[in-house]
Amino acid sequence: MSEHRNPEHIVLVGYGPVGARFVDELLPLVRQGAATLTVVGAESADAYNRVLIAEYAVGNADRESLDITDPLAAREAGVHLRLGLSVTAILRSRRAVSLSDGTLLRYDRLVLATGARANVPTLDGVTRVRRDRQAPPADAATLDTSGAPLPRGVTVLRDLDDARRVLAAVTAGARIVVLGAGVLGMEIALAAATAGAQACVVYHGEIPMARNLDRGGGSVLAQSARRAGVTMVNHSRAESLLFHQDDDGVDRFDALICADGKQIHGDLLLLSCGVGARTELAQLAALPVSTGILVDENLQSWGDPQVYAIGDCAHVAPAPRAGDSTARPTGGPSGLIGPGWRQADWLAARFTAELLNREAALSLAAATPAVVMLKAEGVDVVSVGNTAADPWDAGLDEHAAGCSGAPVRVAQWADPEAGRYVKMVTRHGILEGFVCVGMPRTAAELTLLFERGSELPADRSVLLRYDGPDYEPSAGSAFALDATICWCNGVTVGAITEAAEAGNATVACIGAATRAGTGCGGCTTRIGDVLEHFRAAESTPG
Amino acid sequence: MMLNPSPTDADAVTVAGRDFPTNRGGLCKKGWTAAELLVSPDRVLEPLLRQPDGSFEPASWSDALDLVAAKLRGTRAEHGADAVGVFGGGGLTNEKAYQLGKFTRVALGSSRIDYNGRFCMSSAAAAGNRAFGLDRGLPFRVHDLDTADTILILGSNVAQTMPPFIGHLEGARAAGGLVVVDPRRTATARLTDNGAGMHVQPTPGSDLVLLLGLTHLVIAKKLTDQHYLHARTTGFDAVRRSVNQWWPTRVQEHTGVPVWQLRELARRLAAGAARGQATGNGTYILTGRGVEQHVDGTDTATAAINLSLVLGLVGTTHSGYGTLTGQGNGQGGREHGQKCDQLPGYRKISDPAARAHVAGVWSVDPDSLPGVGLPAVELLGALGEPGGIRCLLVHGSNVVVSAPNANRVRAALKTLDFLVVADFFFSETAVLADVVLPVTQWAEEEGTMTSLEGRVIRRRLAVAAPEGVRSELWIWQELARRLDSASTFSAEAGEVFDELCRASAGGLADYSGLSYELLDSEEPAFWPYPAGSTGTPRLFLDRFAHPDGRAHLVAVQARRLGAPAQVDGTLTLITGRLLEHYQSGTQTRRVRELADAQPEARLQLHPATAEQLGIIDEAWVEVSNDRGTVRCRAQVSTDIRFDTVFLPFHFAGDQRANLLTDDETDPVSGMPEFKKTTVRVRALVEAGAHV
Repeated sequence: MSEHRNPEHIVLVGYGPVGARFVDELLPLVRQGAATLTVVGAESADAYNRVLIAEYAVGNADRESLDITDPLAAREAGVHLRLGLSVTAILRSRRAVSLSDGTLLRYDRLVLATGARANVPTLDGVTRVRRDRQAPPADAATLDTSGAPLPRGVTVLRDLDDARRVLAAVTAGARIVVLGAGVLGMEIALAAATAGAQACVVYHGEIPMARNLDRGGGSVLAQSARRAGVTMVNHSRAESLLFHQDDDGVDRFDALICADGKQIHGDLLLLSCGVGARTELAQLAALPVSTGILVDENLQSWGDPQVYAIGDCAHVAPAPRAGDSTARPTGGPSGLIGPGWRQADWLAARFTAELLNREAALSLAAATPAVVMLKAEGVDVVSVGNTAADPWDAGLDEHAAGCSGAPVRVAQWADPEAGRYVKMVTRHGILEGFVCVGMPRTAAELTLLFERGSELPADRSVLLRYDGPDYEPSAGSAFALDATICWCNGVTVGAITEAAEAGNATVACIGAATRAGTGCGGCTTRIGDVLEHFRAAESTPG
Repeated sequence: MMLNPSPTDADAVTVAGRDFPTNRGGLCKKGWTAAELLVSPDRVLEPLLRQPDGSFEPASWSDALDLVAAKLRGTRAEHGADAVGVFGGGGLTNEKAYQLGKFTRVALGSSRIDYNGRFCMSSAAAAGNRAFGLDRGLPFRVHDLDTADTILILGSNVAQTMPPFIGHLEGARAAGGLVVVDPRRTATARLTDNGAGMHVQPTPGSDLVLLLGLTHLVIAKKLTDQHYLHARTTGFDAVRRSVNQWWPTRVQEHTGVPVWQLRELARRLAAGAARGQATGNGTYILTGRGVEQHVDGTDTATAAINLSLVLGLVGTTHSGYGTLTGQGNGQGGREHGQKCDQLPGYRKISDPAARAHVAGVWSVDPDSLPGVGLPAVELLGALGEPGGIRCLLVHGSNVVVSAPNANRVRAALKTLDFLVVADFFFSETAVLADVVLPVTQWAEEEGTMTSLEGRVIRRRLAVAAPEGVRSELWIWQELARRLDSASTFSAEAGEVFDELCRASAGGLADYSGLSYELLDSEEPAFWPYPAGSTGTPRLFLDRFAHPDGRAHLVAVQARRLGAPAQVDGTLTLITGRLLEHYQSGTQTRRVRELADAQPEARLQLHPATAEQLGIIDEAWVEVSNDRGTVRCRAQVSTDIRFDTVFLPFHFAGDQRANLLTDDETDPVSGMPEFKKTTVRVRALVEAGAHV
């Protein structure tokens, strides 16, 4: 470790997948002694990959496959990991945070990666808490549940404890009622059904994944989910819970009651109603907050250049200048890992450049909408961006955009019977959004095209054929004259036929005349077939 | 391969196959027609000296060598020993590769030698050394593949580059287990048709992510060989953590390979490995240049090795990992000192014990040996630069066609004070030379080559070389004498081989138990073959070559994600070979049958892309970027992804694919980026216009 007289103190709050990525990327700087890094994490477990939590909750992935970082390597590099502790306040005037164990931790740069917590909807029978005006609890283990634990038989799915509760129900083949048909809700329901549990998804709109899919895509998904054994209950607004008493006298979930009076019984109610950024620390420290902690394109807080935010707690938006309107900034945290990791990488690179007096990286590129993919075996759903446009709106849009703007074009393929649906929304031939259900290879290609901003083939149907049974082109007839028989020597059916016409009647003669079959010899049977075919053609009159 | 003299005409010879396990007596078009090279009218038959007016005049050998020696001596005196550089080739025999390394270090005293294998095998070699402590293309025999249940081939079109090899894939095909990963639907990919296996078609440059994702799936689905990992490897935990960020949907997002295919592939590989343990017919993973010729090629090869290790394939009797060697002597050429950091026997030139041993064999002071030189791209980058190379000797390589960023290479060669090219043809590089030295070719010389399976084989003199043509061994002997060099330089291949064997003794590639006598007995000889042993057909059965005896899993990251927007004809170019041609084409373009079949470069592109750009089949197109421009005809085909175009690298002039490739290199291996180049394609004549 080289000597740096006054290394800066970097404090990271939050050790989830984004925080862990930030730590990994900052290790070289810490090893050099150019900065110290202290990580405060509320979960006492090492950072794990929350993206795969649904897989873990149904037993498809074990705890080890959630590991994404090596805390030992971080410790060896000199990082102070303080896990099982929470930050209770940011004392900006003192450039310090206070910890749940009563100590203070000084910082030069404070990075908030506090992530998000699962939303708990308003339901009769579930206590609702407003957290944004409350200091985080001193006990880090109850960061999200203090004062209002969920009733027995009701859970969210966010951390390892939640996942274990779900896993117990799945393993027991229980009836699981999922409230909310977002990506996570659909993933867990499909995975639970595959794993042998009974799953029922209750949602209030017409289609599942309504934030991501258009009506066609959503309808095909709902149908595919039903085929996979998931009960889909749409148009249902959940209002309250019914309980029965366990032997110890404590209430346990029994049924969900909807506004129309429906009762949906189950053993476990899984609330999958989206997430909300953990912003209370920032809010209490009087930092600007919208749907997340407001940070500019350099990930610096609007209110304090020494405070940064990344991942699910961060809302990236340009800071208003004097005279700007005070309207709420648009956008918000994506809730997806890709953008969070990009932010972590970029911020670590920027810190490294600044502290080593190197050229700093450019501002973080404006985030493009992140591609949403449903992780479920057998049900493929991918979507991104603007998917609302309809093929027949194009004319309207053209008009609205004036003569200069390029019109939005929509191409669509729907085959609900086969569980297949594609919509491609383009401008200038470049995707602005798409939905793809039940066509995995097409979805993969569309994803690449979207992420690169590449032009689609003018004939969009080229993209659909990848998933067709005819895609593996077995080159028509095996006896077509240009079909290659001997790859070693590049000899075609035509060349063999010609040699046969010249009187070469055996495989060996053909070999001597054309070299066919004199390489690896793997084609000698096929040469025989061609000769056979030739003789048959010869003997046919006409 | 055998040469049969014609009973009637003393000069006429024909080629015939010879029973041998790699090709089972089979030859491809290139082999059958190789005799034509011997009598080609294009051969250079006497030394040529460039005249002040730029033309070449013949000279006697003694005049030519006197001139070369004087220039070498003068350059060294004026600019130092490192001002002389040497560029070798993977087609040279073991004896020549060895002698060229020795000549450079001892007679020239220069550290600056490297070779075209840097553009070929270097990433796989670096990855193999890092993982196993030793690099032999196939650590098993090639016919061990015959009974495999599953073979995964990544980035290799063996059906065209080494056609007789596909016979070894028949077993896996019959078992439905041949998997080919290639952005193109190549002849090799077509071997998976009709239930013989699966073709996986990722976007170019995404192989690393694909391999990380497969490794993740194998681990997550508990398909690893835990006992093997525990007993035979280190580093698993770090790899496990590092691949956890590559869950299937994220891999699909970056590769274009759908999740179902990833899962299917992971299951198949593991099922094959399990079957291997039960029946002996397991899973083999083979990599080729497609995944290795990248700026992250070493990491990609490492990821393929990691996948092989978590499946428990390597160092068993039933399964394995290997890399398919590209050039005639691609294996042997990389073992005996042609590489900038290497001494014979695959020793490190930076290792004092290695220096002492080799210096002992050469009877020179270890301290007189130079240190580590420059890898190929850097070496070419140092041409004409201050403190760089003033004088270059090129042996068995055609860098004007084969090196990346060919325009820059050509310009750099022109800045040299003196360029010597030894070749049997007047290649595109020889055209720029001050002195061209005509040398012997395959059937005109004695020597050995080492095949992709580490088997040392003899090359025998069958026909007399034309009058006026000399072997490089003789040339180096003559030059060393003129330079008053220490040590001795035999011109007899057998003597050089014996010395090579002694120099390699105790090294990783130990040949010390070999001799021409033994090789002539046709006894299969696989290195390491230390004196007193019978060689090593299958490596690593008991231990790996690292001091701890274990294979090392090395966690690697995919950092080069994403690609530029493909609009207005911006596409990703990959380069590669055709069946009919070999390397820079300087040999095969001179064989009429081969040239007739593939007379010119053609840009392969997808019909949808062609339609967009107004290009029809056979139309002229221009492929360009900041580095250069290629003009050639289009070949419209559904055998390629619509975001990718393919150009063979065998052609000269403004059809050189390497006018376009970048000379940025892999930080570990020095391998350039040949397989992911951003280009712009446009039609030269509008489609539909009648010309």
